[in-house]
Amino acid sequence: MAAEPIVVCHQVSKSFRRGGEEIQVLSSLSLEVPEGQFLALMGPSGSGKTTLLNLIAGLDRPTSGKILVGTDLVSSMSESQLATWRTRHVGFIFQFYHLLSVLTAYENVELPLLLLPLSAARRKQQVLTALELVGLTDRMHHRPGQLSGGQQQRVGIARAIVTNPTLIVADEPTGDLDARSAEEILKLLGELRKGLNKTIIMVTHDPKAADKADRILHLEKGKLVEDTAALSGAAS
Amino acid sequence: MGSYAFWFLVVVGSVVGVAFFALLPFFAFLFIGETTLNALASFNPVSRAAKFASLMFKNLRRNLLRTSLAYLAIFVLVVVVVGVWSILAFLDLVTSEKKRDLKAIVTERWQIPSQMPFAYAQTLSQGAPQKEGDLIVGPEDSMTWQFFGGYTEKERDKQSRDNLVFFFAMEPRKTLTMMDGIEELTPEQLKQLAKALEIAEKDKRAVVIGADRLASMNKRVGESITVYGLNYRGIDLEMNIVGELPKGRWGQIGIMNRDYLNDALDAYPSTHKGERHPLAEKSLNLVWLRVPDSEGFKRVANQIMTSSTYTSPAVKCETAAAGIGSWLDAYRDLIWGMRWLLSPAILIVMSLVVANAISISVRERRGEMAVLKVLGYKPWQILLLVLGEALLIGAISGLLSAGLCQILVNGIIGGVPFGIAFFPSFEIAPNAWWWGLSIGAATAFVGSVWPAWTAQQVRVADVFSKVA
Repeated sequence: MAAEPIVVCHQVSKSFRRGGEEIQVLSSLSLEVPEGQFLALMGPSGSGKTTLLNLIAGLDRPTSGKILVGTDLVSSMSESQLATWRTRHVGFIFQFYHLLSVLTAYENVELPLLLLPLSAARRKQQVLTALELVGLTDRMHHRPGQLSGGQQQRVGIARAIVTNPTLIVADEPTGDLDARSAEEILKLLGELRKGLNKTIIMVTHDPKAADKADRILHLEKGKLVEDTAALSGAAS
Repeated sequence: MGSYAFWFLVVVGSVVGVAFFALLPFFAFLFIGETTLNALASFNPVSRAAKFASLMFKNLRRNLLRTSLAYLAIFVLVVVVVGVWSILAFLDLVTSEKKRDLKAIVTERWQIPSQMPFAYAQTLSQGAPQKEGDLIVGPEDSMTWQFFGGYTEKERDKQSRDNLVFFFAMEPRKTLTMMDGIEELTPEQLKQLAKALEIAEKDKRAVVIGADRLASMNKRVGESITVYGLNYRGIDLEMNIVGELPKGRWGQIGIMNRDYLNDALDAYPSTHKGERHPLAEKSLNLVWLRVPDSEGFKRVANQIMTSSTYTSPAVKCETAAAGIGSWLDAYRDLIWGMRWLLSPAILIVMSLVVANAISISVRERRGEMAVLKVLGYKPWQILLLVLGEALLIGAISGLLSAGLCQILVNGIIGGVPFGIAFFPSFEIAPNAWWWGLSIGAATAFVGSVWPAWTAQQVRVADVFSKVA
């Protein structure tokens, strides 16, 4: 029996105004992502994949259409509601990690938890659990400047999962890493998906990274042109 | 060339040294603040707020050079503002009317300096009562002032500021009851002064001189001097130093028995071919009268101003506050400029300094602001973060600047000598701590509002969007 869709996009369109011109980035796109699926979004630059990711993650609102994540109609939430929703339901992994340089790894992972009504002890427990999952407990008091690229991305992943979100979105998570580090990160993402049954949506240019996913969506000029199961992801 | 290089190094070294000592307490404050917040982070009711607040402290450590420069700029400017406001506060105090125990000052009406005949002294000292029912000022509530200045060296080429001394010729005992600032003396100082004034009452040659002036003249209590008159040319008085006035407010002046000066003026013709001294009829400079309240002042002033005795020269009677106000009239434009031009200009500059520093910081951290928004931080929390950082720098630098200035000027230096007539050295006002904290925080807030507003408006989609 197929898992229930955790993400549903229905006839989603997004356009931007640049100067006096209206630029259509996404055009009547519909899509469903089952719970626990590892989905890769691919396409050339300007195809709309990052925009789609931003809309699903509640970073932006569509010009038209509906986006449902779990039971929440994300597309009709206000900015303030989206901010609150993101804290609890979405974990972000960025290409360039975007850790706060003045905070230690521990403090960076703890950042989203400061928005939740948790006790200090509970926060500590969740942070340590997240760091343990990514294998960085021995580096938790180091600042980002003292960590390698791969380690920084692990901290980014720990920060993304620390709130136990419904959905993890990753924007080119291996884009700034060497091959070996990239492989480790992708392996980690796969483990998270299997071990915690997390739904992961990843934007990537890298076919090797995409191959780790269960399903690959190709976008071109704002439209879904191909929807395939990844070779290795489908096998698992 | 070598000496220029030397002095250049001295100046640079001094600036660096001062900056270092000004920065040390700031860094100590930041360290203590952050440590305290880290400790509070363990206590649940305040844990999250403490963590958020500690992020502000950490952000200030991000670029220590920029933070230090902003701090030092505010520090220096607060010192200037606090100094200016202390002077203005003092001037406001001395020119504001008291409600009780007013001091009325009688001076010549149309001339500065005031020079009245000593013949006015007796009736003026009583408040010029003319008829029954008029207010009579008691003998212990009045004081005459005559000014005698001169050098302790006779030869012109040896006369200098160091051997110049300026005396108030009065009834010595009234120093203790009528002079301002006597209440500031310690019991021991008061006792010593009383003893010296008692001697001066009986021995007209006995004088009491301020400790600072004695040091300049290289004289001590127990020694004798001859003062060769400066304003009373031809009148040279031999004096015995029987006591000293404490350093500070009265440290530069002397007190002598008025009878000595008046007797010398009376004796002048006998040694100058019968000619009276040019200032014989102009020796009385001021009369002070203590009246119970403003109603009493009005009565005495009316008695004096309507009396036919004081017509040549005419006299005026005003309160001490009004008198000082009149005297300060010559400096009115300067005081106005200090109050309404200089101070606001400095406050604006302070705001601009903070605005510049915070703007650069916000521009550098757009990505971080966007990350915080992505994680779910609301715009008002981003705003609070940036404002908090600015307020920290402003408030701490203002507080430390005013506080250290007060300790240095009042406690160590003993006040800044301003050199205007009888005004004492100026001290930093007791309110300075509060002023420094307020203006530091307020200017930091004003300067950081716009950068904080732009920070909270960062659009996360724009910051993370890819180039097409």
